[in-house]
Amino acid sequence: MRLLVVEDDIPIQEFLKKSLSEAGYLVDAAGDAKTGEALALEGVHDAFIIDLGLPDSDGLDLIARCRAQGSTAPVLILSARRSVDERVRGLEQGGDDYLTKPFALAELLARLRNVLRRVAPPQYESTQLKSADLNLDLLRREARRGEEVLQLTPQEFSLLEYLCRNAGRVVTRTMILDHVWRMRIDPATNVVDVHIYRLRSKVDREGLRPLIHTIRGVGYVLKPV
Amino acid sequence: MFSSLSRPPRATAAWRISTWTTLAFAFGTALAFCIVYFLVAKGIRERSDTWLKGEVEVLAEVSASAPRDSLYDRIVGEVAELASQEVGAGRNSQGKRLNSLFFLQVNSNGQAPLWVGPGAEDSFLTALRQTHLDPGVPEWISVKGWAPAFRVVVLRRGHGGTIYLGLSDLSALRLLHRLVYRFVWIWVGMVAFGFFISYLSARRMLRRVEAIAETVARIGSDDLGSRVPEGPISDEISRLSQTFNRMLDRVQASVNQLRAVTGAVAHDLKTPVTSIRGRLELALSDGENGRWREPVAESIEDLDKLAQLLNTTLDLAEAEAGALQLDREPVDLSDVVSQLANLYLPAMNDRHHELSVALEPRLVVQGDLSLINRTVANLLDNEIAHLPQGCRIEIRLCRQGEATELVIQDNGPGFPPELISHAFERFVKGKHSSGHGLGLAFVDAVVQAHGGAVAIGDRPGGGALIRLSLPVTTLQTT
Repeated sequence: MRLLVVEDDIPIQEFLKKSLSEAGYLVDAAGDAKTGEALALEGVHDAFIIDLGLPDSDGLDLIARCRAQGSTAPVLILSARRSVDERVRGLEQGGDDYLTKPFALAELLARLRNVLRRVAPPQYESTQLKSADLNLDLLRREARRGEEVLQLTPQEFSLLEYLCRNAGRVVTRTMILDHVWRMRIDPATNVVDVHIYRLRSKVDREGLRPLIHTIRGVGYVLKPV
Repeated sequence: MFSSLSRPPRATAAWRISTWTTLAFAFGTALAFCIVYFLVAKGIRERSDTWLKGEVEVLAEVSASAPRDSLYDRIVGEVAELASQEVGAGRNSQGKRLNSLFFLQVNSNGQAPLWVGPGAEDSFLTALRQTHLDPGVPEWISVKGWAPAFRVVVLRRGHGGTIYLGLSDLSALRLLHRLVYRFVWIWVGMVAFGFFISYLSARRMLRRVEAIAETVARIGSDDLGSRVPEGPISDEISRLSQTFNRMLDRVQASVNQLRAVTGAVAHDLKTPVTSIRGRLELALSDGENGRWREPVAESIEDLDKLAQLLNTTLDLAEAEAGALQLDREPVDLSDVVSQLANLYLPAMNDRHHELSVALEPRLVVQGDLSLINRTVANLLDNEIAHLPQGCRIEIRLCRQGEATELVIQDNGPGFPPELISHAFERFVKGKHSSGHGLGLAFVDAVVQAHGGAVAIGDRPGGGALIRLSLPVTTLQTT
């Protein structure tokens, strides 16, 4: 997968290039709208990551120009502003998703996967999720660790399902709130952590290999290491 | 709420204005008529008085010069009869004379030797004796059995006794009656027509005022671009519209300026935060930094708090200036509160709090879902942050008339008394609070932007109480 990053702030551009490369993408970068447009029109990129505050023109105009010239690659918008109006206009101009700065790398990657998946949707949706000896039956809303059925509340099941779908990838608290509770809030207290502790106490019993891990400063990950 | 259709016409200003102008008009025209009536009546009376005085002189002359013989009565009687025919010009449609005239001569010994007039003289004599008359000054005398009253003039002759001449002018009275009758009909018609016209024109004028009020009410922070229609005619109402529009121009300019400033601040502060955060995260993902993991993770968490503080500060600045953009949609408040209660319940249980939730279902407000979520979350965060372990927290959501009321109360220590009066100001916080002191200010600003109100106080029996009310949306019953 080849990405184009259009971002004028060099440190941000650098860390985007580095972290996206580490995540397995090929990355081209541009520091202004003119260079970005020239690169975008080559037609070799699978997705664009475009910052709205570019020095020579507005990111929204860049998106509109790319769309007008037939580019169909999905666009992930980055912006420091957080007005509703701008978000709406961004999506209207042809952006596919919107991320406000500062953002967690995990969230950027999740949204990127999401916009890429919209272009090529998966062939079928499995009703079973499996990670090590953890099995989730999405139809019966039942979770098993080995042979044992876990007694989970509906909320805990949704949380575990979300972690399982992202097995091996870090998810942030914001992402958990957004996907499991469908809320964009930023609690000042550790409400999400308490849910994770409770879930962990049921999933990772003593003597079992722990599956749910805390990544300090970032979030949580479910992986069988 | 501004639609004239929803109000009875009697409650409108147009109704009041036209009622008052019509009353003034009715009173003025009635007064003018009274003056005219009075002048006409006076003119008629003066004319008949002049005639009476002249005629009584003539009769006195005739009675003085006529020889006192057997023909005297006939001569004077003829003259009086002629006079009565002269004033009898007023006849009704049947040719019957409307006016009555009498002539009476009384001797110095009180006898009445000469009487010319309708009917018998007795009742006239009685009426005349009861009234004192000055010679040559006509007076009203009502005679039993006769209407209208007679205008009588008296003339005393030294030896010839006293001469009375009286006129009952029914035709003049009928004329005046007709005047009054016609005036009343025309007056009623005029007043009704005047009321109708003034109501219509006042309503047309005030519709324009109402249109201005509607537009101005609609122009919130979401939509500062619309303007009040100014209309083609340049009158007071157009000037009102123009003034409103100039004011809106200025408001829009300052709101845009504020948004530009907050946008610039957001950009300038968040760009370095983003790159620092990104590099720290990269460092964290680099597996070989055991010693640095902890401080790097803490720095990331601090940066997130900084970004949150920055967002809240900027939102608050915009909200307090009325420039907060609301993405309004129907929000089921019952749903929001119940979801948030579910989210916060484990964290509350962790601190041994007991949570009881009583929600009236399907209470819908027109609002910004994300801001309302943050507002309620903020209040619940406060409960967790400020209560000692093992308290009872109660959340109640119910409808109070036109508002939805959310009450959150606990049996903790309550608000510090010195805080209660200015708890909604920025950076005001309790001594032991670890927060940034923007929480309640933010809650207040968001609720006000939604047209609601927040109040804090003491719960009866001890503890804190927060009461938040938002205007409820009228639900279409489905």
